[in-house]
Amino acid sequence: MVTVGAVRTLGKRERADKQEEASSPVGNIASSADLKPGDRVVYPKQGVYRVTGLEQKDIAGQRLEFVKMTREEDGASVLVPLGKVATIGLRRVATADDIEGVFHYLGANYGDPELDWKVRHRDNVERLIAGGVLGVAEVVKGLHSLSRLRPLPAKERELYDSSRHLLVNEISVALGVPDVIAEDYVDFALMPPAGVKLPLKTPPTPVELKGPPWKRKKPIVADDDDLGLAELGIDMSALESAAEGAAGSEESEEGEAEGAAPAAEDGDAEGEAVPAIAIVKAVERVPTQKVPAPRKAPPPRPKGAAAKALAVKKPAPKVMSRPTTKPPPKSVKPTKGAPTKKPAASRPAPRKKGAKPAKGKKK
Amino acid sequence: MIRIVTLAAYDEGDITHLSKTLYRSFGVGTEHVGERALPKKVERSDGRFDAIRILGDAPPVRAYSDDKVLYITDKELAIPKGPLGEPPAWGYAEQGGDRALISTFRFKPRGVTEASIEVFRRRLARESIHFIGHLWDLHHCYDARCAMHPSWSPSLPDDPEFELDAFCRDRSERRVRLAKT
Repeated sequence: MVTVGAVRTLGKRERADKQEEASSPVGNIASSADLKPGDRVVYPKQGVYRVTGLEQKDIAGQRLEFVKMTREEDGASVLVPLGKVATIGLRRVATADDIEGVFHYLGANYGDPELDWKVRHRDNVERLIAGGVLGVAEVVKGLHSLSRLRPLPAKERELYDSSRHLLVNEISVALGVPDVIAEDYVDFALMPPAGVKLPLKTPPTPVELKGPPWKRKKPIVADDDDLGLAELGIDMSALESAAEGAAGSEESEEGEAEGAAPAAEDGDAEGEAVPAIAIVKAVERVPTQKVPAPRKAPPPRPKGAAAKALAVKKPAPKVMSRPTTKPPPKSVKPTKGAPTKKPAASRPAPRKKGAKPAKGKKK
Repeated sequence: MIRIVTLAAYDEGDITHLSKTLYRSFGVGTEHVGERALPKKVERSDGRFDAIRILGDAPPVRAYSDDKVLYITDKELAIPKGPLGEPPAWGYAEQGGDRALISTFRFKPRGVTEASIEVFRRRLARESIHFIGHLWDLHHCYDARCAMHPSWSPSLPDDPEFELDAFCRDRSERRVRLAKT
């Protein structure tokens, strides 16, 4: 078999493909040179195929070479360009040893299934594509254990059925038994009959997923200040000198802030806007000290006869208790001299009997 | 069309009940072809019968394309041992094929009372639907109320349901519709 390729720099996509190849499980076909007619390979999410040979086709004025494969279960044909063989995740059919490991995995106790459907779906798709036969088994087992908690949604029911089909198919090819018997083996491991104890060994390590960046384990960075700017070609010495200059001006700002902070704490300065920078600086200096967020003034209480009438007519509305029972800061309390503000949205205004609740409160 | 072939003597009432149930489940005509002899040389040294060989050597039945043939025997079946042991064999089918075999060996005795006969018939219907379901390319179902749930499952009740759940019924109907005849 001949590989097609010219000497050129790799594109971004190809680099990613190469990285994927490097981390792919054992058994993956790295190049089309590894294939020969009669070989049995597993096409991810498709099933077991048999390589039938090479085929040339003229497409858009180009003469391209393809590997022709036929699916064993229904005879469907697929043509894979020679250059794509390494990147589509083709792999050899699992060996009997791999299959035995799969059964020990299926029979072993499994932790709680992933309950977040988004994470579960993404993990399952990744396992099916790059996880090998063990990845497919993980999908089957994961969804099976979830089905014991609640019925699977339609999409996952489909996924469960198709991954079960792939697993059964590969086991049947690897062990040389009919599909129905391979499925019996799978279910014998998943739900053994009453009174049967399975001779289980240590199951193989589950497939390690790369996952999204926020889910990956972050490497420990020795220096927090190192942002990797040097790698980007930015002059670090120039940055440092600029930072020193900025530090001087920052000190002067801090001085101003220190002056502003006591003023803000004064009770007389009610209604005055506290500079946000000053608050931030104060928090930076004393990390343990919590600065209460500025709250709006409570609604003004009715006075005199109106208040008495209201107290007789209707009890005060219930206010939801909050975990923080701290009183609001002194500075934002309404006083006689200060101009009255609008009632805060967080506190419901007293309303008459039979009045409909506000739309926002309905939930 | 589903054709039933008995490899042992069965009550005619049981087979009639089975035919009606299969017709209701799959919407496909069902008939009892008759009784045939069990193939020879299918008995193993342990006294059980090789399920795969029985189906391979079973007497041929005149059938059209897409017809499904169901063989019923009362012998204890055996299937090859797997990596974790041998699952109990209630039957065997060619996945997506056209022949299936079930055994009534593991059923509760038919008895003579109305209740015991009813239990026997329900179980016969369930196992038949299960293995014919394999012929329609259905896989095992996790729902214990579905006929495609594994026959030995600990979550299966003593007198299990003999109907397919919505997902399996949908799939089987799709396959039946796609059939050429």
